[in-house]
Order: sequence, then C-alpha cells, then structure tokens
Amino acid sequence: MASRRSMTTLTDVAMITCVVQRDNADAVTNALLEIGIQGASVHAAMGTGVRERLGVLGVAVDVERSVISLMVARDQVNRIFERMYLAGRLDTPGMGFMYVTPLLQAATYVPPHVLERVAQERELAGA
Amino acid sequence: MAREIRFGDFVQAISVDTAHVRYAELMPQPLFDTQGREVPQPMQKMRLRRMDVYRLLQPYIGSRFFDQARAVVPLALYLALFQYFVLQHSVNDAAQIAGGLLAVMVGLMLFMEGLKLGLMPFGEAIGSNLPRKLPLPGVLLVAFALGVGVTFAEPAIGALQVAGSIVDPAKAPYLYTLLNDRSGMTVLLVGLGVGFAAVLGTMRFLYGWSLKPMIYISLAPAMGLSIVALFDENLSTIVGLAWDSGAVTTGPVTVPLVLALGIGVAAAAGKGADSSLSGFGIVTLASVFPILGVLLLSYYTVWTVSPEQILEAAAAMKQASTEAPWYSLTPWNEIILGVRAIVPLVIFLVLVLVFVLRERLRDAFITHYGIVLAVVGMCIFNIGLTYGLSKLGDQSGSLIPGAFAQISAMEASPLYSVAVGISIAALFAWVLGLGATLAEPALNALGMTVQNLTNGAFRKSMLMYAVAFGVGTGIMIGVLKLIFGFHIMYVLIPAYSLGLVLTYFSTEEFVNVAWDSAGVTTGPVTVPLVLAMGLGFGNALGSTEGFGILAAASICPIVAVLTMGLYVQYQAHKEDQELEKETNYGV
Repeated sequence: MASRRSMTTLTDVAMITCVVQRDNADAVTNALLEIGIQGASVHAAMGTGVRERLGVLGVAVDVERSVISLMVARDQVNRIFERMYLAGRLDTPGMGFMYVTPLLQAATYVPPHVLERVAQERELAGA
Repeated sequence: MAREIRFGDFVQAISVDTAHVRYAELMPQPLFDTQGREVPQPMQKMRLRRMDVYRLLQPYIGSRFFDQARAVVPLALYLALFQYFVLQHSVNDAAQIAGGLLAVMVGLMLFMEGLKLGLMPFGEAIGSNLPRKLPLPGVLLVAFALGVGVTFAEPAIGALQVAGSIVDPAKAPYLYTLLNDRSGMTVLLVGLGVGFAAVLGTMRFLYGWSLKPMIYISLAPAMGLSIVALFDENLSTIVGLAWDSGAVTTGPVTVPLVLALGIGVAAAAGKGADSSLSGFGIVTLASVFPILGVLLLSYYTVWTVSPEQILEAAAAMKQASTEAPWYSLTPWNEIILGVRAIVPLVIFLVLVLVFVLRERLRDAFITHYGIVLAVVGMCIFNIGLTYGLSKLGDQSGSLIPGAFAQISAMEASPLYSVAVGISIAALFAWVLGLGATLAEPALNALGMTVQNLTNGAFRKSMLMYAVAFGVGTGIMIGVLKLIFGFHIMYVLIPAYSLGLVLTYFSTEEFVNVAWDSAGVTTGPVTVPLVLAMGLGFGNALGSTEGFGILAAASICPIVAVLTMGLYVQYQAHKEDQELEKETNYGV
C-alpha cells in the first residue's frame, strides 16, 4: 500500500489563451509574473489575414506570433484576462486576440505543504 | 468550493470598461448565388481611425528606433562629455555630427527592418530548399557567392573606405592605395575570405567537424604571413588593417544570412538539429579568412606596384578632386554606395530563387518593401557614417593626445602631465570598449544561448562582463600601441598564441562560444567609431597608421572568455570530485 501513488486533481480551472505578436510575448508574461502568476507556456505560430486586410499599414504587423496559454482559477479569470489584454496592447489593430476556455479538470505536482494548508483552511471553514 | 468576495474588491479588480458583443455580429454573413452555393467574399479593407493608425505605427517605429538609439546615444554622449569636461574642448560642428548620428540611427533602423523583411526570407527559402535541388558542390558554390555578396552589403564595410580618406599617402602609401583607389579590391578579397568561410562553415555543419583544427589551420598562415610582413617596411603598415578587417566583416547581414544557409543544409542532411551548437563557429571563420585575404592582397600589391606609382596616382586624384564630379559628392556618393551594396546581393538571391529553386516568394509586397527599406536605410546610414560616426570618432581621437602631448589642434595642450594624461587616455579607451560592448544587443542574445547551453554554469552576466572586459582591454592596448608606437603584431602574436593554447585545453562548446563572441560584439556602430578614433589618434600623434585597435579588441575577449570557461570547467570538476569523495566515504 505504501507504494501507492497519489494524484491531486484541480477543479474550477479555466485556460486563457492569448495570441500576440512575437515581440510582445515578453510583455504579457512579465505582467503575469509581476502578480505572481507562473507557468504560462509560449508557443510560436504564424498568423494570417490581418496584414492583408490592413493594406499598406500591414507592414507594421508581425505575422510571427506567440501563443501564450495559462491556467487560472475560475474566480480570477476576469482579473488576469484584463491584465493580459492591457499588457498585450490588444486594444490596437493587428496586435492579436485572446479567449478563455473552461477546463473540466487539471493536474500537476502540488507541493505537500500547500495541500496541508488547503486542508487546514477547509477544516477551519467547516468548523 | 464556494468563496465570498467583497463587492468592493471586485469593483477594484475590474478596472477596464467592458462591453459584450455577440461574435455573430462581427462575422461576415455568408454570400450565396442563385443556386445556393457559397460565393467568395470580396476582401474588405480594414478602416482605421487616426488614433488607431498612431497606435499601430508608434510601437512599430518607436521600438525599432529605440533599439538603435540605445546603441548610439550613450556612446556619442560619452565621447562628447569626455571631450568637453576632460579635454576642455567643445565639440566642433556639433550640429552636423548630431544630424549625422540621427542619420545613423534612422538608417540602421530602416536597414535592420529591411534585412528582416526583405533579405532574410530569401536566405531561409534558399537555405531550406537549395540542398534538395542541387548537389553538394552546387550548394557550396552558392554559399561561396553569398559570402562574397553579403560582405558588400555589410554596413560597417563602408567605414573602411571612410577611414581610408584619413590615411596620409606619403606615410603609408600601400595602406592608402588599399583603402582608396584599390578599396574595391580590398573589399572583394575580404568578401572572398567570407565566402570561403561560408563554404567551410556549411561543410562543418554537414559533417559535424570540430572548430579547433579549423582555427589552427586558418590562423597559422595568417600569423606566418604577418610575421614575415613585419620585416618589410611597406608590408608592415598593412598588417594592422588586415587584422582589423576580420572584425569589420561579421555584422548584422553576414551572420544571419550565412547561418540560414548553413543550418538549412545541415537540416536537409538530417543533421544539425541535435546539436545545440549548430549556430556557432561560422562567425569565427568569417573573421579569420578575410585577414588572410587582405594579407595576400597586400603581398600582391607590394610585389606589383611601386610606392612612386601610388603617390602619383594620389596626387592626380587630389588634383582631380578640386572639380569633383557629381557622383562623388554627398549625397549622391552615399546613395551610389548604398545601392551598389544591396542591389547585387538581391539580384543574386532572386536569380538563385527563380532559376535554381524555381520558386516564388510568398509575400511579394512585404519583401519588396523590405528591399526598398534596406537600400534606403543603407544610403542614409552611409551619410550618417561620413558626417556622424567617423567625424565624431576622428575628432575625439585627434584631441585625446592633447591630454599628454603637444598637439596643434589644442592650444593649451598638454593639459596634464605625461603619466596622468596617458592614464586618462587609457582609461577613456577602456571604458569606451566596456560600455559599447555591454550595450550591444547581440551580446545579450549570445549570453542567453550560452547560459542555456551550459545549464546555467556559465551565467549570462559572466559572459557579458568577460567579453566587455576583453574588448575594453583590447581597445586600451590598441590606444597604448598608438601612444608608444610599437607594432600591433607584438600584441597580437602573444595574444593569439595564448588564445590557441587555451583553445587546445578547452572543450568544444567554450571554444565555439569564445571565438564567436569577438565577432558578435563589433557591430555597425562600434566599428566605424573605433576605426575613425584610432586613425584620428594616430594622425594627431604623427604615427603612420591607426589600425589594429579592432584586432586587439577581437582577441582579448576570446582570451577572456576561454579563461573564464576553463575556470568554470575547473569549478565544476572540483565539485564533482568532492561529491564523489562524499559518496565514497558514505559507503
């Protein structure tokens, strides 16, 4: 029994995916790190469409994109979503877009002391 | 898990006005013809408010301009303030120099963007497709031609010509002719050297050769020829130029374009992807072979042309220059130089793409835009080179000797006693090298790569400081060479020998990084400035030639990084041994 391995499943998780111009990816991930959000993954990608539709101004748009995806607790989605939106300057044409997807469940390594703390907090709430 | 949130916290957290729109309201409605089939939509141009245009263009232009300003402004300020406070001499033609520096920044900004959009797509397309269409000798031929072409397109190469106009034909006739009436030949030989390096570098990617034997093989003849040249009065003036030309070539055009081809070839052969070092080494080769090329050219020139012929030609040119034709006047001269630098390279790339690869570029408009930017940027940069960088460097270089010697340009000279003055000059040179290197963005990137490569054992800051320390020391040695008038080979021979010995003992990774670090640091801003400073300095002191500073600034960081690498290796080794001891005792 002692060798039995355990897994902690995380619930109430959402994924924010944010597509920005390659050079702006650092701005977004740094804005996340500033408020202590870690674990954003960045993929390289190519975009299409905006450059063509902007005409001559399209030269200012970099088609090489970074796709930043990040898991957040569902009750913090709005706060982080807005922070990423502002850091990525998505209120400007050609900069990119972002969306939130609900996740059914997620799992990763959770340090034991964090699990203990959660358990304690639950006990307190129950009592 | 239920959770309560205070409404106030919620309102504070939501700081952005949000509006909700159904996405269906934004999507174009499908169009159908009478049979109910969907028909293509006409593409609608996006309409932008003026505010949006500004917000789109501002970061695009701003960030690119700032990249260049970060390299130019601190250096220029340092030179100007030093001149004003320490040498107590205001900057002559300050407005013209400021305009020139602005032209350098704008020109480099346009050029770098043009390089990325206009030339790199060719390099990538050719690199990934050429090996499939041509047998190896054909690929190597293209690599060779590309190496020659990119040398002409390198912005810093124009600095050699500008520097040539400062050389006095009576003192160093062969140096004068190689940089003036024969400058095309010199650049061609440098280009042949780079072409040769591109071929060797590509084969290296393909067969995974070690860099070490290549360094030995290429440096041995260069050092041999230089030592022989030392004993010839005419040849010894050119040795400094030859070793400097290596540092000039490896700039923002050569490195990425030649790399793209080499990596493409290696990837097509199914190799290279596994090696994290695949990008390294080519910079080193591209800075050693031009040295050999220029040395050979100087031997040939000394053998075939007499000094009298050169002096006659120089005198004739001087006479002719009183009624200079329109094409040798600013801005036409700079524009012709700029067009001549880029257009042949572009034509070559297009020919390879169309006739060998039989392909078309995907995004033709953007590529054309990039090529136009590159040409315009090169022309503006050339103007800035003449009136900004070279002028400023020449001016500070010619005034610094006033700190310790009597010079005609400064009435109060010498300003300080000999010992203090020379110390000031040396310190000035050291700080200049240190600052210019730390500001170089390419070094930052290299540092990141090295940190990843060594799993953090060789930290980024360690590499940056080692290189900057090396460059600073190198420039200081170069300046001392001018002050005390010894030949630069007396520095280069021991330094390169030390470098070779350290290379022998180092691992392949550190050898690659160290030898590349020198080429990476000498960018299009530092090179012209330091070249002009050295020449102005040399002229003010009456020495025959001011070359050799860049060469010293190339080898010193190599030695510094190799030493640092050996130290890191030693530390890691010691830790391993201690760990082993502990585990042994534990058992």
